[in-house]
Amino acid sequence: MKWFKNSHYLTTLGAIFIGFLLIMLLKSPASGGQTEAASAVMLVQLELENQQLANDNERMQQELTKYYEGQSAYALAQEQLFKAQLSAGVLSVRAPGLRITLNDSKDPVTEPNDVAKYVIHEAYLREIINCLWSSGAEAVAVNRLRVTSNTEIFCSGAFIQINGSRQMPPYVIEAVGNTDEMQTALNFLYYWTELGSYSQRYGITREVEFKDEITIPAASLRQYRYIEPGKE
Amino acid sequence: MKFWRKELIFPVTMVAIVLGFLISLQMQTHKKSVTEANKINQERTANMKTVMANTQEENERLKKEHQDLIVSMDTLQERGSDPLDIELLNNLMIMDGTRAVQGLGIQIVVDDRIQEHKTVFPLTANELLEMINVLRFAGAEAISINGQRIVGATAIVNSGTAILVNQVPIRRAEGIPYEFNVIGDQETLVDYFTNLEAVTLKEKGGMAVSISKKTVQIPSYKGSYTFKYAKPPASLE
Repeated sequence: MKWFKNSHYLTTLGAIFIGFLLIMLLKSPASGGQTEAASAVMLVQLELENQQLANDNERMQQELTKYYEGQSAYALAQEQLFKAQLSAGVLSVRAPGLRITLNDSKDPVTEPNDVAKYVIHEAYLREIINCLWSSGAEAVAVNRLRVTSNTEIFCSGAFIQINGSRQMPPYVIEAVGNTDEMQTALNFLYYWTELGSYSQRYGITREVEFKDEITIPAASLRQYRYIEPGKE
Repeated sequence: MKFWRKELIFPVTMVAIVLGFLISLQMQTHKKSVTEANKINQERTANMKTVMANTQEENERLKKEHQDLIVSMDTLQERGSDPLDIELLNNLMIMDGTRAVQGLGIQIVVDDRIQEHKTVFPLTANELLEMINVLRFAGAEAISINGQRIVGATAIVNSGTAILVNQVPIRRAEGIPYEFNVIGDQETLVDYFTNLEAVTLKEKGGMAVSISKKTVQIPSYKGSYTFKYAKPPASLE
């Protein structure tokens, strides 16, 4: 008990214990928020879905109101048909837009390990088109083929299959809509920047032109085999 | 009490007092803070439940209203059009995705949740784009991911840790994160998806992928088609 007789040890021990308690005092109880985070995500999803539904309901309500206010059922039906043709992409449209040209390099391959970087891959087309849609493009075509709900852009060896048709480079993507927004979005796209550096290093073509008027061609009406009307 | 030297009595007493005070304070504060935190959590959870219940109620109401409006629009269409126009409109609405559909097809579920026994890379927007592309290549007639209809104008983008489809975050917070419903030729869809996508997702991404053949329901596209700049040919204006 020699140590206990020494006041230094005693005060040191006391100080450690006090320090420990002070730390405990400063600590706040942990909050269990994992389930709350999951609920918050679900809530956001549901609210956005509600917003979509409300917008769509409002659109239909407006069309019905026109009918109730005296517009003939025939005129309304024709208007509805026209809008559906536009949104399905079976009507050609014209507007200011961007024309993007991508082409394989014509330079001799000097860096064999990077041979894939001398050619245009289908992923570039997909990513650019996705970027154009996300920045408000109203209609898009690749090599004069309209991009619709069923358009595939699939690499099949030396060519890329688009709407069931074999396409060779150069690939010309045309998009109409707000050109400033589309150009800004492209500048933030990883692939776009990569293609810019490939054009300097490997000689591929990556060009963009602003056009006052571009005509996007119409798609063919698709016939469905397995689909039947369903319920929400 | 031999070891109690006189000079120790004062510091020991002081330390004991401070210790007693702090222990008492600690217990009170802890109890109080735990109680208060629980109270706040309970209130927050209750509020969240109320908001969620209201939003779900609103969702049900909007869905019913949506269905009723579709019926009214169809009735009006039948009144104002000849049967050929009605058939054309139905076809167009399937093509632009504004009509809910059902049919034979496949359901794909992709589980990219973290697991203890293997490394799993979360699904990315790029991978979703590739999967959709393969399904289209296999002749898919309609596709939805977690209730969002995939149309031509659908953009799939990363936003922080979320993936937005039609501007809506789609990853499910609970249960299997991704469910695809696809209508088309079942054999071709299974064959193409298995060989071109599922293998890579499993082997490189560590994800669990299962595909089943069934009749699937695909909801309509709820986004809006806006043609602010694009105009049809002059002859139709």
